[in-house]
Amino acid sequence: MDALEARGLAKVYQGHDREVRALDGVDLTVAKGRLFAFLGRNGAGKTTFIKIAATLLRPTAGEIFLFGDDVIREPRKARERIAMVPQEGRPWYHLTPREHIYEYLCVRGVSSATAKARADEMVEAMALGPFSQEPSFRLSGGQQQRTLVAMILATEAPFLFLDEPTLGMDPFARRQVWEVIRKAVQKGSTVLLTTHYLDEAEQLSEELAVVEAGKILYRGSPDALRARVGREVRLQFSGGFTPAELAGYGKVSSDRGRLTLLTGRAVVGELTQLALARGVEMTIGPVTLEEAFLELVGRSIEEEE
Amino acid sequence: MTAYTQMRAAARICYFNGLLPLWRSPILVMAVFLTPFSFLFFLFVIERSAGGDLLATGVVGGVLFTILFTGNGMLNDCAYLRLERQLQQVFVASPVRSFTYVLGMALSELAFAIPATVLFLGILDLVHPYGLGALAVLVAVLLLTWLMATTLGFLISTFFRQQREIWAIATLIFSVLSIIPPLFYPIAEIPQGYRWAAFLSPSTYSGQLAEWAVGLDRGSVTPGWLAAPGVDFGILLAVTLLFSVAAAFLARWRE
Repeated sequence: MDALEARGLAKVYQGHDREVRALDGVDLTVAKGRLFAFLGRNGAGKTTFIKIAATLLRPTAGEIFLFGDDVIREPRKARERIAMVPQEGRPWYHLTPREHIYEYLCVRGVSSATAKARADEMVEAMALGPFSQEPSFRLSGGQQQRTLVAMILATEAPFLFLDEPTLGMDPFARRQVWEVIRKAVQKGSTVLLTTHYLDEAEQLSEELAVVEAGKILYRGSPDALRARVGREVRLQFSGGFTPAELAGYGKVSSDRGRLTLLTGRAVVGELTQLALARGVEMTIGPVTLEEAFLELVGRSIEEEE
Repeated sequence: MTAYTQMRAAARICYFNGLLPLWRSPILVMAVFLTPFSFLFFLFVIERSAGGDLLATGVVGGVLFTILFTGNGMLNDCAYLRLERQLQQVFVASPVRSFTYVLGMALSELAFAIPATVLFLGILDLVHPYGLGALAVLVAVLLLTWLMATTLGFLISTFFRQQREIWAIATLIFSVLSIIPPLFYPIAEIPQGYRWAAFLSPSTYSGQLAEWAVGLDRGSVTPGWLAAPGVDFGILLAVTLLFSVAAAFLARWRE
C-alpha cells in the first residue's frame, strides 16, 4: 500500500474577480518510507497540495488517501498518523526550544517520560543545546525555524509534511536538519517535502515531482530529471566567447560576463581545445537539478505563452 | 487519542499557553486587571462627588468585565496563533481534536483572568460582604460567562484572514459586550424606554444574576418576566449553548 495516493485532486480558490486554479487534476503516489520532494515555483500549488493532504484544506474535486484512509471523508483517522511543519510558521514566543518539543509531544498523547527523552535527543540532534533554555523570542529566525522543525520531527509520526522546513537557515543548520530528516526516514516515516532549495531536494529525495500551474510536469528521480534535459554537462566560461558562438553547442545563458553552456559530453573535448587556444578559463561539471528544473519549467511556461 | 489524553492535552495547552507566560511575565496580570480597575476608579470618584451608591455594582462589573475579556483574549490569541504563527495548523494536522484545542486555549485565557477576578471578588467582599452561597452562584455565573465569551471569541477568530481586522473586531465586540451593558452601573440608570436594548446583550444577564447573587437591590426596574433570576440564568445558559454549538459547527477549524 502507498503511504499517500491522490487522484484527480483539484482546488479552485475564488479570487476577487476571478477563479484561481491552484491544483488541476493532480495524480500522485508516495511510497511508504520514502522521502518525496515536491518542487515548483511560487504559487505552483505545492502548499495547497500539502494542506489538502494534511487535512487543513478541502479539495474542490478528487480523492486523497493516507495509508489507505480517506483524508477527505475521515480526516480524524488520517490525523492520527501525521505531523506538519507549516510554511513560515513561528514558535510560541515565550517557550524554549526544549519546551516546544516536550509540550507538543505531551499534547499529542506521548507519555511524559518518552517526551522528555525525545526532547533531549532532538535538542542534541538539531544542535539546539546552546539555546535550548532560551525563550524563542530571543532566538534568530533560523533558530526559531529549527525549533519548529525539531518539534514536528520529534513526533516520529508515520507521515511527515515539511513545507519549506529549512527556510531562513544557514548552510550548517540546513545540513543538520537534513541529517535528522534522513534519520526519520530510516526509522520508517514517510516524508513529503516542499522546498525552493534544489540542492536540498537533490540531497534528500529519492523521488520528486515538479508542479507548475497546478499540474504535475514531472515525476521521477532527480537523475532522471537531469537526463530529461538532454544535456549532461555544464561548462562555464569567463568570457572569451560570444553567446552566438556557443549557441550551436547547446543552451547558453549569460550572467555578468560569465557564459554557462549546457551541452552533451561529445563536444567537451572540442570546446576545451578552443578555450585553451583562446586562453579562456573554463570549468566543467554535471548539470544541476536547478538547471534541469529551470529548463523543464521554463519550457512549460513558453508553451503556455 | 483517548478522551483522557485529549483532556490531558487541553490541560497542557492551558499550562504552556496560559500559566507559563503568566509565571514568566507577571505584568500580564496587571494588564488584565488595569482596565476594569480604571473604570472602577472613575466610578468611585464620580460616586464620591455625586453622592451615589454605585461602588458595589461597579466591583461586580469589574469581575464580569475581567471574565468577559477572556473572549477578547481568545479572539486575539487564536487569530494570532493561526495567522501570524501558523500554529493552529500544527494542531489541525495532529490527533488533537478542535474541542481539545479550544478548551485548552479557553482555559489558558481563564488562567490570565483568575488573579484579577479573585482580587475583585475580595474587594467586593470588603465593600459589600457576601456569603459562600452567593460565591457559589457567582462562580457558576462567571463560568458560564467565560464559556460564552471564549466560544464566541474562537468562532469569530476563525473567519478573518488579517490580524489587523481582528484587533478592530475584538475591541468592537467585547467593548459592546462588557462596557456598554449595565455591568458597572445598575440597569435602572438606563431610561425606561431604552432598557430593552440592554437585554439584547447576553452579558446583561450575567450582570443581573451576579448582582442578584450578592444581594444588590435591582429595584423593580426589570420589566415583568425578565425579573426572575431563573429566567436570566436560562437565557444565559441558552446563549452559551448557542455559541458553543455555533463554535463546534460553524468555526473554521481547517482553512
